[in-house]
Order: sequence, then structure tokens, then C-alpha cells
Amino acid sequence: MEDKFEPKIVAFVCNWCTYTGADLAGTSRLKQEANARLIRVPCTGRIDPVFVIKAFESGADGVLISGCHPGDCHYNAGNFHARRRWTMFKNLLEFVGIDSTRLQFSWVSASEGKKWVSVVDGVIDSVRAKGPFTQYKKMNKEIEIPVQTGEGVPAK
Amino acid sequence: MEELIISTENFKKIVQELLGKEFRVIGIPEGENKYQEITDGSKLSLHPEAAPTSSSFKEYFFPKSEPIFFYKQNHSSVDLFDPIEDKKGIVVIGAKPCDASALPIISKVFNWDYKDDLFNKRYDSSLIIGMSCNYKDDYCFCVSTHGSPENTKGSDVFLTSLENNYFSAAAITPKGESFINDYVKYFEMDEKKHKVIERKEEIPEHFNYEKVKTWLDNNFENKFWDTAGEMCLGCAQCAFVCPTCHCFDIVDEQCSSCEGRRAKNWDACQFSLFTKHASGHNPRDNQEKRYRQRISHKFKYYNDKFGEILCTGCGRCARGCPVSLDILQVVEDINALAEKS
Amino acid sequence: MNELKQTCKDVLTEKKARLIIGYSEDKNKRVKPFIARTPEDAEKFVFNHHAVNNLAVYISRFKNNFEGKIGIVVKGCDLKAVTALIQESQVKRDDLYIIGVNCSGVVREIDKEFSKDNSQIKCKYCQTKTPAYFDAIAEESKEFELTVDDQQELMTKIEKMSAEEKLDFWNEQFEKCIKCYACRQVCPMCYCEQCIAEKSEPQWIDSSATARGSFAWNTIRAFHMAGRCIGCHECERACPMDIPLTLLTRKMGMVASSEFGYRHGMSIDEPTLIGSYSTSDKEDFIK
Repeated sequence: MEDKFEPKIVAFVCNWCTYTGADLAGTSRLKQEANARLIRVPCTGRIDPVFVIKAFESGADGVLISGCHPGDCHYNAGNFHARRRWTMFKNLLEFVGIDSTRLQFSWVSASEGKKWVSVVDGVIDSVRAKGPFTQYKKMNKEIEIPVQTGEGVPAK
Repeated sequence: MEELIISTENFKKIVQELLGKEFRVIGIPEGENKYQEITDGSKLSLHPEAAPTSSSFKEYFFPKSEPIFFYKQNHSSVDLFDPIEDKKGIVVIGAKPCDASALPIISKVFNWDYKDDLFNKRYDSSLIIGMSCNYKDDYCFCVSTHGSPENTKGSDVFLTSLENNYFSAAAITPKGESFINDYVKYFEMDEKKHKVIERKEEIPEHFNYEKVKTWLDNNFENKFWDTAGEMCLGCAQCAFVCPTCHCFDIVDEQCSSCEGRRAKNWDACQFSLFTKHASGHNPRDNQEKRYRQRISHKFKYYNDKFGEILCTGCGRCARGCPVSLDILQVVEDINALAEKS
Repeated sequence: MNELKQTCKDVLTEKKARLIIGYSEDKNKRVKPFIARTPEDAEKFVFNHHAVNNLAVYISRFKNNFEGKIGIVVKGCDLKAVTALIQESQVKRDDLYIIGVNCSGVVREIDKEFSKDNSQIKCKYCQTKTPAYFDAIAEESKEFELTVDDQQELMTKIEKMSAEEKLDFWNEQFEKCIKCYACRQVCPMCYCEQCIAEKSEPQWIDSSATARGSFAWNTIRAFHMAGRCIGCHECERACPMDIPLTLLTRKMGMVASSEFGYRHGMSIDEPTLIGSYSTSDKEDFIK
């Protein structure tokens, strides 16, 4: 029986709002899918687009970036800077061939546990429908252990 | 062995046979000016009058990024895996003398204090079919680096262009001799006495290497170096297109948290971090010093160590340099300084 | 040409600048960057259709090395790079002596004659034939109409592709990359003393010229040019593997212009795009 595809999602979340909101979702025992791995950063302004590329290189099928609502940033303007950066980066990735389903953004505050669940589930469902990001994984070919045949060398 | 001739058409048929026998054939396809893997014999071109390609064919012997081994971490140990060896022999067809002569030059450093099997396996199982060159431009200076457009160094078989798309084929090494024997049915005797196509212009001697070398031996601190390379931007274009540049970096790369590989990548002395030490000190911390290194390595240090000039005068570095920094003009300036003193 | 030489000689004689970065012609008639430190050196300066290089890239190299102004010969497009460097606080306007030249187009293939076809894409749409500001100006201004292929068709073709086709296209292009970093070194806006690609703890961008490493490098460099590229096309000219880098940077420029109405390098007092924000920036893509 074939294993059904379960997407791996990496979520970059800001410490003060979204991470706390996700924690609230947990303590409130809200039911949510488990595919997202969270990486906590102090502020969305810390998120360098190279993190997104690294996430895809490491095998992520989708990336979610989430932070405080505009005006609520713990560091005053971090999310404003991030917002502008994301417009440019999103357009660049679309031009280069990374579908916008695979990189999504949200504002989730510390009290929005329910919103967090619906955002994460939404991302997971849309990436599941899109399928695994095989095109990106194929780029890893030169770095992966090659499949050896015969010769008694351990195969992958 | 009597000199045999062969038509370009028949050469293409040899290529088809080589492909059938699972050789990797490297040549310049018709309509392009790059060394590439030829997968269809009919696409091979042999144009002695063409300019040198924009980059050399060293990547087939010394790839731009090559795995040394792969690793996988287990709970308490690490498993190592060898890269899959490409068992196909390489045949390079139509190599200009400035490219073919580079391989024996760099083979010396790859067999010096450590025998580099990654290079040796490819080089030892290869066959180089060189071709005389009928090209000249202001960037060519093979004659000054003890080469020439008819230089057979590095070639196993050497082709000289004749009229009517024929080439005379000379076996330079035993490998070359057995190649010609294996495919002798495609060669002919030169009954019609085809004429050799003469070059339109001779390549002059631009500088006296011995004088340049003596100057380099004695002028490490000369003020000449303050401005010789000051326009250099510090990219690696020159080193990467060069048939003799061979510096490499070894890096470890992760594929997943427990798997990855160790790789050998092209590196260049023009990069700012090339000589940065783990302590943080960088002995070549400005572009002037790095450019002095490039010229000195190519025209002095390599000769001191291995008895070869690390330059074949192909001129690719100068043709492609984004700021047109011309190695020939720098060495000519050194020659002029050497003659003055 | 004599006007330029004379202007530069005067600048050096009167010590208005300690050195001038300009163009000279070598024995093979190639025009290339050259630094004049004395009025005699300035005799070697030229300016013609082959003066392709963007000399602003040298400002970051020479700005800290001495006292006195840096003189620089700039075409209208190069001046945008100078403006951009001032906007980004890399050099002060007062530390520069700008010698503008009126330009009527530069070549694409440097060893051939300039013609309507053999010209740069940027020249076709040039709005800055006369540099916007300068301390001295030389050369005659001429009108010109160029017919070079501006890759607009290729750009449209790419935008119409599906995501898979786009990624396949770009992977095919990026696999040619040999990581020589010529694109970075010619770019006046790539002035970081330690590039992100040179950081090894952690290694954000693989240094290897593999499919993965080249994709990461070219994509991240294009992003670092978002709202910062001034469209000099030097990166594509320098690339030895003919990767169409300007398609990426042009796309970034188009997005900066359409989403934020911003063009880099137009005014020294304008705040930079990514360095500033507006509380009313668009966020329709954020849930």
C-alpha cells in the first residue's frame, strides 16, 4: 500500500505574536494537523529570504511565515520592513518558478489560537493538494548519496 | 608509421563508433564555440581557423564541483560512500594546442605530494586528439610560453588541416598509435598530396620568457605591482576559463541533517578570502597582492617547482575579463622593465 | 574627446580630486577602466561607444584609502549607481568629483563596431543620455535610435510559462553557472565586505557549482538587488556562461516600480525601497 503524501511545512514565526498564538492553540487543546515544524525568530523582520531557500533545500514542501499584525510589532516596525521584503521576494520566486502556494504569509497575534490552527491547516491542505516539491528535491541530486549497484557498497 | 590522412566526414563516423562503444566524446559542436559532450557524431565540427572557445575543456578532467565522498551519520558511527566512478573513457577531439598542452602541465601538480586519483583516473583513460590552429588575434601568445599553433604536447593524435576538409593524422604517443590502428579503415594514404592550409598570420613572440622569469625572481616588492592589477575586480572568470588554473577548495555540504558529501570545487587566488587564515589574518588582503600572486604563480613559482610555465598563451582570460585586464600586456610590461634594467 | 581629457587634466592639476577613475584604450583598442593620478596620466583618457564598464564599482574600493575627492567619469546610467551608493550611505556626495559624459550608446559585443544592433539593451530605453547632475560635463550629446533585441519577447514568454516550466527554464540556465562571482564583482551595488555567500558558519548558500548551489546563489543575489539594481546590465555582460541575469533584476525593477512606484538611483535624498516602509504597503497576499 502506498504511503499517502504528507507535506513537510516549515513555519517561521515571530516570538511575540505567532509563536505565542500557536502555544495558545496548544494549551487550548485545539485540534490541528501536525505537519508544520515551527522555527521561532524574535521578529518577522529577522527573516531573511535565504531561510526560505534553505527550507526548500532541506526538503520542505511549503513554507509559512507568520508574525504580528502591522502596528503590533514588539520592535515597532519589524513587520513593516518584512512586509515590503515579502512582496519583492514573492514576486521573484513566482518568476523563477516557485508557486505561491509553497510560500505563504499570515498575521497571527498572540491571542489568535484559533486563527493559527485555521492558517496552518489551510497551508498544509493546499500544499498537500499541490504535491511534494519534487522539482526542488531533484536539485539535491548531486549532494545525495548516489545509489550504488553491485560492488557491495551500501546503497541508499 | 606512414602519415595517413582523414576527411572530416570520416572522422564523424569514428565518433559514432566511439559513442557506440560507450566513450565520452568531447568536442565543439557545429555552430557553437564551446567544448561539449557530443552525442551525435554528425554534429562534430573541426575548425582550425576558429577562435579558442570561451572556456577550456578542463572541466571534463577536473569538474567544477566534484564529490570526494558521501557520508551518512548513524547513532554512533559514520558510513562513507565513494562517488560513482564514471568508467567511460574520455576522448577529446579537436583540442587546440593551447588546450591540449595544458593537461600534462597540470598533471604534475595533481601527482606531486598527493596522487589525485579523481584527476588521474580521468586523465589516464583519456585520448586527446589535438588539432593544429590557424587562428590569431591580439590575445594569442602561445609562442611566448614555449608553445606554438602546431605544438603536439599533450596530444595522443595530432591533426593538421589540409585542403578539402582533410586532416593529416600523426600518432604522437603509443595510445595514439593504437587509436589510429583501431580505426585505420577510416584513414587513407595521401595519394593526391593534399596541401597543408597555411595560417594567414604568424603568431609573433611577444615577450622573452627567460627575461620575464628573471625579473619575477627579483622584484617581489617592485612598485609595478601597485598598479598592475588595481583594476582587477576579484572575480574568478580568468581562473575558471583557464586551461591551466587548478586551485580548488574542499567543502562539506549537508543534504539532510545526517547525510551529505565532501566536495572539491574550483577556487581562485583572486577571491578575497582565498588566503584568509583561521586566525583571521589574510596575507593577501588587497587585490594588488592577489594579482601579483596570479602572475608570479603562472610565470615563476610553477616553473620553479615543476619546470613548466603555468600558461599556454590561449588568451581566454583577457578576452573574457569584465574589465579587459590583459595578462599579455602585463607580462609585456614586465618584459619592458626587465630589458631596461 | 579632447574636452574630456582637458577637463580631467584640469581637475588633477587643480587638485580638485586626488585621482580620477575613467576609461583608457589599450594596444588592442579595447576600452577599459583606468586610474589617473597625475595630469600626464589623464592624457590616456578616452570616451567612445566602447566605454561599457560601470566605473561606480570602484568607488567602494577607493573611498577609504586616502584624503581628497574621488573623481569619476560617468555616463548617465553609471551616475544612477553613484546616486544609489550615496542613497545607501556608502559614499558622501562631497567626497566625489563627478565628471559626466554625454553618451550615445555603448556596444554589446565589445570587439565589434557599435551599430544600431550592436548596442546594449539599456541603451535602447535610455532616459539619461545626459547625466542628471555632475561637477563637470564633457562630450557632445547626440540623439540615437537603436534596434537591439531587448529580450521583451523572452520575458513575456517566461511569464506565460507554468511554475514547473519556469523552474525548469531557470534551472537549465543556472546549471551553467560556474560560481565565478563575476556578476557580484562587477556590480556597484554588491559592496558587502563579506558576502552572504562567503559565510561558512552557517553556510547559507552552497559554494559548489551544483544545481542547488547555483539556484540558491542566483536567486538570493537577485533578491539582494530588489529595489537596488539600477539596470546597468554589467552582471550579464560579465557572466562568462551567458546566463540572462538581467531578466531577474529587471523583473525586480518592474515589481519595485509597479508595487511601490520606486526606481533606485534617481535622487540622492530619496529613502531606499527595502530600507524604508509605509504603513499602507499592500498586504493582500497575507492571510
